[in-house]
Amino acid sequence: MTNKPLTLHSFPHAILHIDGDAFFASCEQSRNPALAGKPVITGKERGIASSMSYEAKAKGVKRGMVMADIKKNCPDAIFIPSDYETYSLLSKRFFSIVRRYTPDVEEYSIDECFAEITGLQRPLGMSYERIAEKIKAELDKELGFTFSAGLAPNKVVAKIGSKWKKPSGLTIIPGNKIHEFIKDLPPEKIWGIGPQTSAYLERLGIKDTLQFALRSEEWIKQKFTKPHCEIWAELNGRYMMPLDTSPKSRYYSIQKMKTFTPASNDKAYVFSQLSRNIENACIKARRYNLSVKSFTIFLKDSFFETRGIEVKLSLPCAVPEKMLKVATEAFDLLFDKRNKYRATGVVLLKLDEAKIDQLDLFGEILKIEEYKQLYGTVDSVREKYGKHAVYLGSSHLAHKMRQHEGERAEVPLRKGNLFLGETKRKRIGIPMFMGEVR
Amino acid sequence: MIKNQKLEKLVVFYEHHSRMPSFSEMLRLWNYKSKNSVYKLVNKLAEEGLVKRDKNGKLLPTGYFSEIAVLGTIEAGFPSPAEEELVDTISLDEYLIKNREATYMLKASGDSMKDAGIVAGDMVLVDRSKTPKDGDVVVAEVDSKWTMKYLRKRGDKTYLEAANSKYKPIHPKSELKIAAVVIAIIRKYK
Repeated sequence: MTNKPLTLHSFPHAILHIDGDAFFASCEQSRNPALAGKPVITGKERGIASSMSYEAKAKGVKRGMVMADIKKNCPDAIFIPSDYETYSLLSKRFFSIVRRYTPDVEEYSIDECFAEITGLQRPLGMSYERIAEKIKAELDKELGFTFSAGLAPNKVVAKIGSKWKKPSGLTIIPGNKIHEFIKDLPPEKIWGIGPQTSAYLERLGIKDTLQFALRSEEWIKQKFTKPHCEIWAELNGRYMMPLDTSPKSRYYSIQKMKTFTPASNDKAYVFSQLSRNIENACIKARRYNLSVKSFTIFLKDSFFETRGIEVKLSLPCAVPEKMLKVATEAFDLLFDKRNKYRATGVVLLKLDEAKIDQLDLFGEILKIEEYKQLYGTVDSVREKYGKHAVYLGSSHLAHKMRQHEGERAEVPLRKGNLFLGETKRKRIGIPMFMGEVR
Repeated sequence: MIKNQKLEKLVVFYEHHSRMPSFSEMLRLWNYKSKNSVYKLVNKLAEEGLVKRDKNGKLLPTGYFSEIAVLGTIEAGFPSPAEEELVDTISLDEYLIKNREATYMLKASGDSMKDAGIVAGDMVLVDRSKTPKDGDVVVAEVDSKWTMKYLRKRGDKTYLEAANSKYKPIHPKSELKIAAVVIAIIRKYK
């Protein structure tokens, strides 16, 4: 195979991809020294591993593993209920620290972001490499756990970089060095290439990523669709995918899903879980002044099988009563008494800014306006007394019962450790060190 | 009085055309016979600062015009002077916290820092980004637990000291792991 660089340029653009190492588990370890160096697994409330520390990964624990199986391989594993509030607070800090250096940050997920630092060497008085080092050092120090970063001329290659050395790596891949990094890399390791595509590549006789990158543009265009052509171009050092730096103030879909234990075939109870999810999703939609045109409800049974139905609303709104009316019919179709269910969920789709476009024939819109006023009041009561101060009767069973019985019922540590004036529903938005302080 | 009416006509013209009239337009506007009288009135208005003139002598609007033009849509009056004064104040949050991203809190327990005025239940704000100095109250990791003590540096020795004579200083066996520096103690009574 040739050893020629794919491009002669090093950094026509400078893109940084940063990834929190075992993010949720690290959030837990960094706030409690009793957990440091131990196999820590979050997701206790769901009964499956959602994130695991490097110590747990070393013992073969993988995401999605069931608690009982983990105990077999890793008897000293420490299970912790997820504390999404703390993880979100730390995630926001993560992005703010990166924004100290550049405003162009794409919040890709709770524990990952892209940052464009093109042209910042002069204003910051540092090389690209130094900027990346400084950002990483500040993240490691101020959040108390490590991050891995990749610096490259585009997103696809930056992603290869951040995965190259984990945990706590910083891998710099200038355009003219890409070929060295991808020469033995299996294509499915590339961001955006799934098992389907990699199987297709294999049929085409392509075994590693460099072979893919070396194919001619015409050949690629013949065989692949646009997204994969872009990946090909980025592997060749070009810049095809700009960062999406728009703040996440607009939600195009909102989903609320909640697991409960034990699994249940009590129709009224399962429906009340769904009803609560719908209420919660509507709260969020109203907060962003959005209304819903259609939504999907789904039920997950004890075999982890999920079935869902999409329902449409005659008029867009964010009123749970209106949605529950149509959701009831769909629920009747989905619910099967012979199954036990462990989770319900709702995804609000086709969200749009809430405004009145036109009046309808049956005066429905006027009713929705009334509901709007009603929910304005309800939301302000909730603002003052907590999210669940007021809820619909149809959600009552879900509110009355604890979400999880038995071992899984454990609440996140922070919720059981309040200061005077804090309530179960409202706490100070600063992450807290846990464990005894002597 | 007459002058005011003429000025009003100028304003109406400005509202309609979004520009000031030319001299011949003013002639018709004001029903004057000669441009000289137009000229005189314009000078008078300019003296009072109601209109301005550019270097070619053409009329320019002043704040007077735009103010009148938008009067109909403004409902609030002047901003409250209090608002301007408040620019120079900070919130309790800003006062207590310097580096927001690096600030954490914890709940004090035990009595080892009682002579420093820190007692069990106190809310402690700490900063992970600060470099710990001699005499700072720090939060360190000792035997897999957090411990809050004074940091003492004597020569090349670093150790932790309680603010309570009941406790002995802690001399670390290996490296002392300091997680953060205490920046504030908050005690809420009600």
